[in-house]
Amino acid sequence: MGRFVVGIESTAHTFSVAVASGEGKILSDVREVYSPPEGSGIHPYLASLSHAKAAPRVLRDALLTSGVAEGDIDAVAYSMGPGLGPCLRVGAVVARSLALSLAKPIVPVNHAIGHIELGCLLTGTEDPLVLLVSGGHSMVVAFSYGRWRVMGETLDLTLGQLLDQFGRHAGLSSPCGMQVEGAASKSSRFIPLPYTVKGNDVSFSGILTTAKRLLDGGEGFEDICFSIQETAFAMMVEVTERALAFTGRKEVMIVGGVAANRRLAKMMELMTRRHSASFHVVPLRFSGDCGSQIAWTGHLAHSKGVTAPVEEALTRQSWRLDQVDVPWRE
Amino acid sequence: MRSAASEGDTRVIYRGAEADLLRGWWCGLDAVFKFRRPFIYRLKVLDDAIRRQRTAREAEMIHDAKRSGARTPLLYFVDPANALIVMQWVKGRRLKEAVSSLPPEGLERVFAELGGEVARLHASGIMHGDLTTSNVLLDNDDDKSDDNELTLIDFGLAIRTTRLEDRAVDLRLVKETLTGAHSEVASKAYAALLEGYGGEVGPGEVRAVTRQVAEIERRGRYARVE
Repeated sequence: MGRFVVGIESTAHTFSVAVASGEGKILSDVREVYSPPEGSGIHPYLASLSHAKAAPRVLRDALLTSGVAEGDIDAVAYSMGPGLGPCLRVGAVVARSLALSLAKPIVPVNHAIGHIELGCLLTGTEDPLVLLVSGGHSMVVAFSYGRWRVMGETLDLTLGQLLDQFGRHAGLSSPCGMQVEGAASKSSRFIPLPYTVKGNDVSFSGILTTAKRLLDGGEGFEDICFSIQETAFAMMVEVTERALAFTGRKEVMIVGGVAANRRLAKMMELMTRRHSASFHVVPLRFSGDCGSQIAWTGHLAHSKGVTAPVEEALTRQSWRLDQVDVPWRE
Repeated sequence: MRSAASEGDTRVIYRGAEADLLRGWWCGLDAVFKFRRPFIYRLKVLDDAIRRQRTAREAEMIHDAKRSGARTPLLYFVDPANALIVMQWVKGRRLKEAVSSLPPEGLERVFAELGGEVARLHASGIMHGDLTTSNVLLDNDDDKSDDNELTLIDFGLAIRTTRLEDRAVDLRLVKETLTGAHSEVASKAYAALLEGYGGEVGPGEVRAVTRQVAEIERRGRYARVE
């Protein structure tokens, strides 16, 4: 009997393979990140070419550095979705090939749930209210009756897209989150932007349009970055706070690529303090997309018998996390 | 807070995400003081503007809703600069806390009644904007009783609108809250709500608004494309 799961991630920019143990140790996590030219976003087809080229090396390195023998591998997990079709297909092909050659079961994993489960593992949280913020998601979720339930989300752009698309408009190369954060930290001049909260949902498109117009009109890049962060993050923290008051959870966790932003984490921490809830941020190295989130969640799913036959181990570009049954949580 | 106008004890009865509610006396009336407290995580200039705007908005919308016949608290006093509203104290508990103890028939009756209440609000051109089960007060002495008194509260995100989209946003939030926090009774409660809604505005209107709810759900990120 083996005790290890291989996880393959390829939803967007990142192609990554990791090996995790059933006790929750990450034994290896190798990544290759596709970066588009300055001023442009991710091109799904070009990204998938980059992934296909990187796959053999990333896979070999991950297996070798983990030190795990083939016979000790329990299962092969992969990101089935949601994500960019061409990129997802590379991961699915690698997963099917590896599983067939090792004669191991295949475990399809929902990428968003992967972020959450890895976050819980690394922060030691059990039943947190989760703020998942990345290029693909901006939602507040809590677990209830067998599924992660959405308590609030963006109605249009994600936080990652907002920061990225504004950065690109200013000529930066994607992903721009860190550069926007750096610029924002140099300003304290606030320019009002549309603050749009609808019920427990948020909308960021008005901020993006206004911010681009301000930049084109000669306003300072740093001042706009500062104002975008202050406005968009406050909206996200506000709906998280409502969900926290509503659900009465005792733990709050941020996961996803934008969890790396220190201003957002600071605002969330200030908010949670009032609610006698503990506050957790996924460690920086694991906030972005990585094989570990798939390997660990794959282990959890496999332990409850979740597998897919090879011919059904395909991809699902549209696969909301609230559509996924989660038998390993109570 | 404004102790000159209140007499006797004023005590905190609820600490919400956005505001603290205190109960006390206002010119001899049993009243609730709703104070939108500053959010320390929000930039002060932004925070002040939002609290002022929502206080004014809420007062205006409670007034309009009341005039349209919806059950809301009576407004006593508004001070936008200090983010304070003083309004009538209304008996009842939050629907959110009552849901799990309601028997099936009781649950359906309450949600049907809520549907009617929301429909009347919509028909008079008001969207509540934050229709969660936290923002509905239920007063019934006995869970089996037919005599439910529902009161809508928290109009800070309400707007004047006649757009189908806005009405659908209201209903979608009820649906989201039900599946998120009351999954075990969600589909029953939502069906009852739609029935009550239709009872006020007719089946054609219900079809239109539920179609729009489905449309909004389709727009959701990674919603299944069919």
